[in-house]
Order: sequence, then C-alpha cells, then structure tokens
Amino acid sequence: MSLPNYVLEDVFNAINLGLIIVDAEYNVLFWNDWIFKRTHIKQAEAVSHKLDSVFSEPLSVTFLNAIKNTLEYGLPTVLSNALHRSPLPLYDLSLQTDEKTRIPQAITISPLQSQQGELYCVIQVTDSSTSIKREKMLRSHSEIFKREANTDSLTGIYNRRFFDEHYKIAFHSAIRQQQYLSIFMIDIDFFKDYNDYYGHLKGDETLRAVAQALKSQLFRASDLIARYGGEEFVLILPDLSEEQAEKFAEKLKNSIFNLAIPHVNSSLFNQVTISIGLCAGIPQEEYDILGRADAALYLAKQQGRNRCVMLSLL
Amino acid sequence: MQQLNILSELQCDALAEVFNIGAGRAALSISEIVNDEVKLSIPCIEVKKSTEINAEILPLPNERFGTVHQDFSGPFEATAMLVFSEENALEIVRDMMGSQMSLEELVEFEQEAMCELGNIILNACLSAMADMLSISLSSSLPCYTITSCAEVINTITGSTDQDYVLVLNIVFTSVKRQSEGHLILLLSSTSLTNLIKHIDRFLGNI
Repeated sequence: MSLPNYVLEDVFNAINLGLIIVDAEYNVLFWNDWIFKRTHIKQAEAVSHKLDSVFSEPLSVTFLNAIKNTLEYGLPTVLSNALHRSPLPLYDLSLQTDEKTRIPQAITISPLQSQQGELYCVIQVTDSSTSIKREKMLRSHSEIFKREANTDSLTGIYNRRFFDEHYKIAFHSAIRQQQYLSIFMIDIDFFKDYNDYYGHLKGDETLRAVAQALKSQLFRASDLIARYGGEEFVLILPDLSEEQAEKFAEKLKNSIFNLAIPHVNSSLFNQVTISIGLCAGIPQEEYDILGRADAALYLAKQQGRNRCVMLSLL
Repeated sequence: MQQLNILSELQCDALAEVFNIGAGRAALSISEIVNDEVKLSIPCIEVKKSTEINAEILPLPNERFGTVHQDFSGPFEATAMLVFSEENALEIVRDMMGSQMSLEELVEFEQEAMCELGNIILNACLSAMADMLSISLSSSLPCYTITSCAEVINTITGSTDQDYVLVLNIVFTSVKRQSEGHLILLLSSTSLTNLIKHIDRFLGNI
C-alpha cells in the first residue's frame, strides 16, 4: 500500500519546513505552502521559472553555487545559519509592520535522481529564529550569572572570588613584563564599634559609601577594587612607581576622610577613617605581595590608624 | 611485524594529488564565506588496516574531538570522517563567524557551522575524486558529533566490514591560526580494490 501522489503533495504542504524542488536547469518544479507563506509567491507563479528569477531580490552567490555543486556532483550541501544568516528572501509576513527583516535560515540541499537519470535538487529551509532566540536568552542569562558570581551583593564592587582570579593573572603578568604591581589592603577603623553603636543597617550603608568613594578614585581599566572580607577592601594597580603608589594611598585615605561620616565611637576624629597597608614592587614567583600588604595594614593599625604604611616586597 | 604496502608510491602520490585538489577547492569556498584567505593542505596520506589504528594517529588522546561524517557510495563505498580536536574546531568556527562570542557560548551555532565546514571539505575532496577518476559518487547528509578519542578509534576499529583506513593529515591555515585535523576514510577491502583500480586507470591515462 502506498500514498497516492495528491496526498504526498498535501504532506509536503503540511510540514513545518520550506521545500523547493528544482531541476538541473534551475527551474522550479515544486514550491510548498511554507515558502508561499513567507514570500507570498504562489506555487503556480514559481513553477517552470528559473529559481533566481522567481524572487524580486537577487539570490546570494554562495546559495547558487551550492545548488550548482549539488547538481554537478550529486553531493548534498548544507548552509548553516551561523555562516549565512538568511540566504533566501523569506519574511515573517504575519507581522503587520513595514519593517522587513529576513527570517534567519538553515538550508539543506540534497540531490535526487529520477529513474530516468534526471537530477533534481531538493532545497529544505528551516527557520532558525527559535534557536537564535534560545541562544540569545541563554547567553544573556549566562552574562547575568557571571556578573552576579563576581559581584559583592552589598557594595556592588567585585567580590573576593573575582579578586582571587584577577590577582593571579595580574601577578603573573607583572612577573612576565617585569612591571610594578601595587596591592592596597584597606580596613575601616573601629568598624565593629561603628556597627555596635549605629546598628547593622547603618553599617551596611557606610560599607557601600566607602566602597563607592574608593572606587571613584580608579580611572584606569587595569585597576581593580574588591571587597576582601567584612570591612576590608583590596585594590590592585599595576605599573605605578613606589612614590606614585604612596601618593595614591594618600588620595584613598583622604577620599574617605572627606566623606565625613560621623563615628562617635572612633577615638580618632569622631568620623569614619581607613587604614591602608601597601606593598609595591616588581614581583617574582616566590614573593607574597598580598601577605606583605596585609602585614603593612597591621602596622598601619598599630601606628595609630587613618594612615598608610608601605612595605617593600622583600 | 609485516609492513603492508597496500598502495605503491605512485598510487599514493596520485591519491594525494586528488585530495590536495579537493582541499584547494574547499579552501576557495571557505575563503569566499569568511571573506578572508584560508588555506588547506594535505601533506601526507597513509593507508592502514583498521586493526592497526590506535590512539597514536590522533595526537592528544585525552582531548575531545569534533567529527563530521558522511557516508558515500559509488564505484566504491566509504565512510568519510573529518576529525578536529574540539578546541580547534571551535576556534575555526569562531574565526569563520567573526563573532565576539566566547567559546562556551557558541554551543548551538558551533554544531551547525562545523557541520557545514566539514561538508565543504568532504564534498570538495569527493568531487575532486569524481572529476579526476571520472566516477560519480553520492553521499549522505553530513552529521556532526563530539566524541572522545576512544570513541573515534572504536568507530574505526569496530567497523567490521570496513577493513582499511585511509588517513590524511589536513592542515587548516587562516590569517589567525593554523590547525591540524584528520580526514579519515573507512573502506571495505572490495572498495579499496575498486579505488586502486580507478587510480590505476587515472594513472594510465596521464
């Protein structure tokens, strides 16, 4: 038992796929409803005409070459959406807009041989819009996740995880290029007392203000600030001399002082201040530049806070 | 161990010439698509018994491979496989697409584009063979899979009726990089005999 031909034609018109059949002279033999709906060219208007004269727009050279090769060698050809976008002038005509953009397509061209030995070409067209939409959605999700994974949710600056990754890269790049690298370890003075007196909500607000003030001091794309821990921040700046790095630390310290956030429990100035431990130099593999900056921060605390102490790499 | 000299040097040269003409055609098509010069060359060609195939022919056995395969038939039948390391495949595709997308974001498009790239190269080699040996070949649609080295080897050695393997190194050179892959043809002994017959006929005509 087999399907009668007229049923087969109904099947071709029912499938959710564009179908065009051309003979060896490029004459259209068949044109299904799917193609009609996206061109408004009826099968009757297309049949017996050369494929490249049916459309009002010229067809791409790669598409015509693909048909030529398929007919010449009897080998099937695929045209991916990734490399060709929209070879055929097909449009979503259900949209009531004047704006016409071609449907993104993936095309498969297969040879067919009749029992009499005549060659035909079956051109199958699929609409890639859905997979492109899915790809775009996945990509934007992955961008959001990536951003979230690297951001400290309270302050909006980079988090410890991102810093650790970035530090490794910056450290090795400085070794390779024999370049200076400066690490600034920053701690808000008497922050525990601040929280105890003003409460955690106010404490969070201050952390945000300090993070923003420190961040606003950075101007180069190579520079980075991250929240290192509770009230600790870390900055990493390549290519500054020791003198420049010390000057920059002074600027950081002043930027927080100038915020003039009241802190009645601070024995220093009754306002929020920071201590900075700085380590700068041209690193080598075995140097612990982070550890030195941390040691410098400890000294800055010991020496009275609201100050910067610099230690060399060794 | 007995060394099999399945193809004479002359036959090998002829086959290498056929494939290099195919590679040249493929390079031309790819260059047109990417609007940049791409070169393809096939520096060496070997025929082996499929039982001799092991991880040595595919360098970096721990890597994953992107494979495009097409079954073709005519005076001889073969399974043609184009094998690139997954990383190389992705880099080539990314260059071709000229996009800023990072490798892991390409997943969906990669498959299609790689399939097309393999189709171009395989078709070009098959059509060059058809032209030079005056034969006509037909082929299945290309299919792209990502597999481990072991799976590639299994496909080759596990194919019971295809006893012979034609292994071609293929070098893909674009402005940005040079990548190496393999073009592998799996042939039954009958198909190999027929292929050799056609090569001899081609050699006799020149």
